Amino acid sequence: MDKRIALRDFSLLIALVLIGVFFYTRDARFLSARNLAQLGIELSATAVLSLGMLLVILPGHIDLSVGSGVGLIGGVAAVLVSNQDWHAPPALLITTVLSLLIYTGMGWIIMKERVPAFIITLGGLLVFKGVHWLVIQNETVAVAPGNQENLYSLLTTFYLPKALGAALAAATIVALGLAMLRGHRQRTTRGFASDGELVFLRWFLASQVIGLFVLVMSQYKGVPLAALILGVVALLVHVLLQQTRLGRYLYAVGGNEQAALVAGVPVDRVVIGAFALMGVIVALAGFLQTAFAGSSTTTTGQLMELDAIAACVIGGTSLKGGQGTVVGVLFGALIMAMLLNGMTLLAVSPEQKFIARGLVLALAVWMDVRLSQKGSGVRA
Amino acid sequence: MAGPILEAQSITKRYPGVVALRDVSFELHAGEVHALCGENGAGKSTLIKVLGGVLPHDSYSGQLACDGKPVRFESIRDAEAAGIAVIHQELALVDEMTVAENVFLGNEPSRFGFVQHERMHVEAQKVLERFKLDIDPTQRVGELGMGQKQLVEIARALAKHARILILDEPTSALSDKEVRALLAIILELRGAGVSSIYISHKLDEVFALADRITVLRDGQSVFTAASRETDTSSIVQHMVGRRVDDLFPARSGSPGDVLLAVRGLSVAPRAGEPPRLREISFEVRGGQVLGIGGLMGAGRSELLMHLFGCYGQRLAGEVRFLGQPLPENDPAGNVRAGMVLVTEDRKRYGLSLDAGVGFNLSLSALRDLSRNGFIDGERELQENRRMMQSMSIKAASLEVKVGTLSGGNQQKVVLGRALMTEPKVVLLDEPTRGIDIGAKSEIYALVRGLTEQGLAVVLVSSELPELIGLADRILMLCEGQLGGSFDAREATQAELLSAAMSKSRVTVSAGEHG
Repeated sequence: MDKRIALRDFSLLIALVLIGVFFYTRDARFLSARNLAQLGIELSATAVLSLGMLLVILPGHIDLSVGSGVGLIGGVAAVLVSNQDWHAPPALLITTVLSLLIYTGMGWIIMKERVPAFIITLGGLLVFKGVHWLVIQNETVAVAPGNQENLYSLLTTFYLPKALGAALAAATIVALGLAMLRGHRQRTTRGFASDGELVFLRWFLASQVIGLFVLVMSQYKGVPLAALILGVVALLVHVLLQQTRLGRYLYAVGGNEQAALVAGVPVDRVVIGAFALMGVIVALAGFLQTAFAGSSTTTTGQLMELDAIAACVIGGTSLKGGQGTVVGVLFGALIMAMLLNGMTLLAVSPEQKFIARGLVLALAVWMDVRLSQKGSGVRA
Repeated sequence: MAGPILEAQSITKRYPGVVALRDVSFELHAGEVHALCGENGAGKSTLIKVLGGVLPHDSYSGQLACDGKPVRFESIRDAEAAGIAVIHQELALVDEMTVAENVFLGNEPSRFGFVQHERMHVEAQKVLERFKLDIDPTQRVGELGMGQKQLVEIARALAKHARILILDEPTSALSDKEVRALLAIILELRGAGVSSIYISHKLDEVFALADRITVLRDGQSVFTAASRETDTSSIVQHMVGRRVDDLFPARSGSPGDVLLAVRGLSVAPRAGEPPRLREISFEVRGGQVLGIGGLMGAGRSELLMHLFGCYGQRLAGEVRFLGQPLPENDPAGNVRAGMVLVTEDRKRYGLSLDAGVGFNLSLSALRDLSRNGFIDGERELQENRRMMQSMSIKAASLEVKVGTLSGGNQQKVVLGRALMTEPKVVLLDEPTRGIDIGAKSEIYALVRGLTEQGLAVVLVSSELPELIGLADRILMLCEGQLGGSFDAREATQAELLSAAMSKSRVTVSAGEHG
């Protein structure tokens, strides 16, 4: 088990480095501050959505509707701001609540009416897409009418002041160090195995990455707000999964739903809760994705559900449920976002982009199957 | 007798941190039924994996020989080619296909890639007839009972010209009648030259069937004898390595208040369907064990599952728990209120097998172990450690995957999870099925301990000695109705059995204890 995880983490890192080196050798701009800032913003929408997908996949379900949901919610908000002259904050708030209701409703149908999530969300994919097109009337609806910056457009155009970014980074590194030290102390006093050097090495690596990221970003405009949003969402989901009862129940339902039911886990509420959270996350990803494009069009959010599922699987989430971590999903989302960003930079044709993304997904699942076969030494 | 047709010499198999088999030798002669006994975790399953080619030759040390010639099994296919077939506990049949299709699954007679259905049915018929298996080859497997499915699995092995059958706990899900039929067929096959290795916890079957018996304990072969020359108590002694004088601890204490009262309960599987349970009434008091017996399909498990809120639609009747009406279909609420269920099928309903021991142990009690939805990791750990110790769960740590533990230890984890909620009523469905005698006696002692603390236990069991030894009162169910109610101290197995089979309704005055 430990070996398998180590191998997988390792393979993810290698994949990341290989992809980075490949694009860098093809076009040195790939690692420029400007492009990395761009990548960070692109990543934020996909990764936030992937974290929502993790919440739904953990208890053994799936959500195919989120790509259309991203388009719809972002589109409705854009229409409210552009065509109805709403202020951005109430528009974002109302559409978030709308998304929460829609996804809670889907969760309710899945659990109470026992319609498989695959079918309900496939229906959602089509319905949301249709409604999205109706709402924007197949036009291009800007998030910032008259190029007047508002909260909506600032989501992806605002950069933290450089001093604030540096301070945040320093605080994060210190907090991370304290948290890891505390975990290590607890494990050793409780008699569990915990390798002090390894813990330090992990913290050191993470600190380097955070420091480097902020340093590079400050050569451009500073840390993008979108990246900070992603960081906060990732932290929240991580805490939810590791520290709360709901998180534990999500793993339990995915591990064995019948057993969880008999153990007294309120299975229906847990899964509906996961879909409700997915609703909030879809709204957030919708705002980020639409703001990044500058406007809502018929293709906004298209195929994002597949990127999100791919990110989960590449990051080691089991589609059967019960297994998956935030860190893994972040890695997976980064790989998908890097591929897309790099190919766009190289002006790869859309046809080839599709093929490359599909192959990466298939390859990742194949490797997952191979590694999990080798890793499991079953003994009866 | 000629030399052995299958021989294993000094097999040693190590898994990380544990030696599963230590220098085990084993022989099977032509026309012999050789039983393999041992507690869970004794190494039976590992030995089967070696003999059946599941473990490749290089993963263990020692030699295998067929007909005196050394063989190396790299895969299941190699073992099959040598005529060895393993019939597993969990059957590998496709319910939607016919018997013949299952018999030839993966091995279909075909021409130009098209399956020859007619020929397949004829061939299947031949195999079934030759070995006197009474099954229609055109029937869908899903329509068959467990016993017949077992026979289909055997027919599949025979169709591949197996001459050595390895049967792993074949009777654990069968009714008495099906067991007798299966045993007869194994003996029949022996006459036809097919040898068997028979693994079972049920020693009466072993003695009825086996020519020789080998006992494994802690990965070592500790005893082999002709079954004529030994007896149950000496086999048990070798299995546990100690004497088991009294499996059932003495009763003590007096009954307390009524904790669970059921009156006139009728339940259908789904709305609009005929009732599965009819007019069932009983009471359980604190400090009491209520035993529920009956044949397979009498509705015992359904009764427990309904009380717990995860089965069926109530048509009539009332269930009161601690004097309050019990809501339907709310298992989570029942756990909160103090009623827990330990199910029969550990893998399906019991545990999250890929998760750790600690994860499974604390799952039910998380509500008490968390504040504002956040789990108190420190308290959780303390509770888990306490439970692991008090249940004497044998695992290297709380982080070990539950799926890697032996059956007895898995059952203790399920029980520990239930007990961590500090329940008032414990529903136990076949708590000792498929676990060894040592773990059984531990679980019996535990049940006694619970009643001494004033808890009420409802125990479903198909083993009559278990009901008589452990329960205070015994209800026998028969086709979804009460077949009789007994004081356990006076009940005999014959009385209980006839109540389980009687078709006439018996009115029972509920809640009395003699």
